Amino acid sequence: MQRRELIQWLVATAGLSAVETLTPADLLAFGREVHRRPVSRTSARALSAHAAETVTVAAERILPATDTPGATDAGVTPFIEKMLADWHTPEERARFVAGLQDLDTRCRAHASRDFVDCSEADQVAVLNALDAEAAGRRDHWFGRLKYLTVYGYCTSEVGQRALGLWPQPWRYDGCAPLDATH
Amino acid sequence: MPPTDFDAIVVGSGMTGGWAAKELTELGLRTLVLEAGRPISPEQDYVEHKPPWEMPFRGLGDRRTTAERQAIQSHSVTFDELSHVFWTDDVKNPYSTPADRPFYWFRARQVGGKSIIWGRQVYRWSDLDFGANLRDGIAVDWPIRYADVAPWYDRVERFIGVSGQKEGLAHLPDGEFLPPMALNCAEQHVRQRMQERFGRERLLTIGRVANLTVAHNGRAPCHYCGPCHRGCITRSYFSSVNATLPAARATGRLTLRPFSIVKTLVFDGRSNRVTGVRIVDAQTREEREYTARVVFLCASALESARILLNSGVANSSGQVGRNIMDHIKWGGASGQLDGWTDRREIGERPNGIYVPRFRNVTSRHPDFIRGYGFQGAAGRSGWEAALRAPGIGRAFKERLSQLGPWTMSFWGFGEMLPREQNRATLHPTLVDAWGIPSLHIDCRWSDNELAIHRDMNVAAAELLEAAGATQIEPSTSGPSTPGGTNHEMGTARMGRDPRTSVLNGWNQTWDVPNLFVTDGAAMTSSGCQNPSLTYMALTARACHYAVERLKRGEL
Repeated sequence: MQRRELIQWLVATAGLSAVETLTPADLLAFGREVHRRPVSRTSARALSAHAAETVTVAAERILPATDTPGATDAGVTPFIEKMLADWHTPEERARFVAGLQDLDTRCRAHASRDFVDCSEADQVAVLNALDAEAAGRRDHWFGRLKYLTVYGYCTSEVGQRALGLWPQPWRYDGCAPLDATH
Repeated sequence: MPPTDFDAIVVGSGMTGGWAAKELTELGLRTLVLEAGRPISPEQDYVEHKPPWEMPFRGLGDRRTTAERQAIQSHSVTFDELSHVFWTDDVKNPYSTPADRPFYWFRARQVGGKSIIWGRQVYRWSDLDFGANLRDGIAVDWPIRYADVAPWYDRVERFIGVSGQKEGLAHLPDGEFLPPMALNCAEQHVRQRMQERFGRERLLTIGRVANLTVAHNGRAPCHYCGPCHRGCITRSYFSSVNATLPAARATGRLTLRPFSIVKTLVFDGRSNRVTGVRIVDAQTREEREYTARVVFLCASALESARILLNSGVANSSGQVGRNIMDHIKWGGASGQLDGWTDRREIGERPNGIYVPRFRNVTSRHPDFIRGYGFQGAAGRSGWEAALRAPGIGRAFKERLSQLGPWTMSFWGFGEMLPREQNRATLHPTLVDAWGIPSLHIDCRWSDNELAIHRDMNVAAAELLEAAGATQIEPSTSGPSTPGGTNHEMGTARMGRDPRTSVLNGWNQTWDVPNLFVTDGAAMTSSGCQNPSLTYMALTARACHYAVERLKRGEL
């Protein structure tokens, strides 16, 4: 068996006894191979279809697709739903859902339609107003939406690749040029 | 003497249990290692390479389950969404404290114990530490000095692999180092400026860390992926699973039995010997006994004390469970450094900087005795800084890839004095999920530790000021909770007098000659250095002593 095949076989079968026979070079190659294991995704429902759509549009306005992917491309909404369903308290979730409803109320007063049906300019305007309102407040629902959007984006595969954080460099340089490639 | 199941029994398979297993088997003893928790298979259980998007909560952890089952364990700095499996379930493993004096008892029950999730910082002690109690007239004197331990530090360092920089300091002796990891540009600057201001009195050096910078003893060098505490498939940092247990297994004389909770030692009053141990099988709950000629307790400081107290042996001094020590932390400061805006770090260095103790080394501080060392690092903030930043849209998104200024932080680890009142006793009614009596832990900082904690802020700010930092911010944290540094020790201390100590200078209990305790329980004072290296050196030393005595028929 070639070394490379051996390593791939180890990754597939997780053979403990064989690993003890590997050389340091093999171990390092093995470690790198493990990084390429396939990805699983999770999802959970905590929002109505309308609320989820509201989150998706708002997240995309916060982190729009530009020359790099945006919040929608990064799958931010399923992450936010997972967090609302299984991480936040019922009170936190209720405050968040109430916030989404308030967003529609504001939009109907301002433009006579729900947030998702507003023009992009109106959406940006109402979110900017909310952003100013939420500044410095830890309990504001919009602060939570923004936090989850940024966190979800930056920890997604799309986001990690866009930010140059993945794949990992496999070395340490404590004083590298900003534009250094791995 | 009747035949025994094994020559030696080692209770615990972690930092010190792994060393006892390696040394005893290599010296020819058929050795049974009893581990309370599950077996570990690196290929299944090590998860350091899981990317964030494969975690359901992206690294934020399962908040609800953590609150229910690991409310205490989750305070450990290396506890996270993936590594939480390497800590115990607080519900199955209860203990109590006075209501107004919390104590964090971090526990790891699996093969490897806490050596899987440790911080890997390794520093030698010197006679500044071993002579401290005698000099200050505190507690009891250590029965050993640096010269007794130095060759064992050598032995341990050569085997585990320690990367570090020699600095020639008498009070933080150099070791057998692999090439050091690099300081980043800001840290190099701070080192230089500190040298100009303080000479060699306050020195910044790269952390001495049990991570390999070159291939060593069949293990691969570090590849800088970051989360060591989730395991290491390349075996690039030291843990018993990665190094000592495989060495013991290679002798053919190791028997490792997981799911084996030691309930008591079995003591024979006529011969004044322990004949073995009684265990509860964690899965079947069946009890059984194993016999051996010598027993090593390596179960961690408080767990070993609990076994001694539950067994009612080796405590004629009344010192078992007393003198609990940890290191006080959360004092320090951070500040910004101008420059190197065109530079950044690449890769995750599993290590920071170290400023060896400088208080009460050559001069006398008016407010406290002993001292502290600083750990820390310089770095640039990344996308995390945008989590609470203002704005939305294209410009806001661009912030995600912009790095903040270089920020240098120092945080102190301070020595704790041994005090008899800081004590673990058997709880009169509380038992664990296997019916074994639990501990009641009563431990608090003394004024000396609190003065050390306050001084950390002052001195860290001085270092930053010397470095030319701006926006210097002293720590706003109060002192850490005792136990929270995960350096608990002292509960079966060494000494020179059987009336005031549990162990002699060879980690051998005064009362029972074939019973040794070689984990943190043995510590007579706490130093301010991360303690695992000393635990390992004392363990190796005690093993050689015990085997020599066994071979001469003296145990």
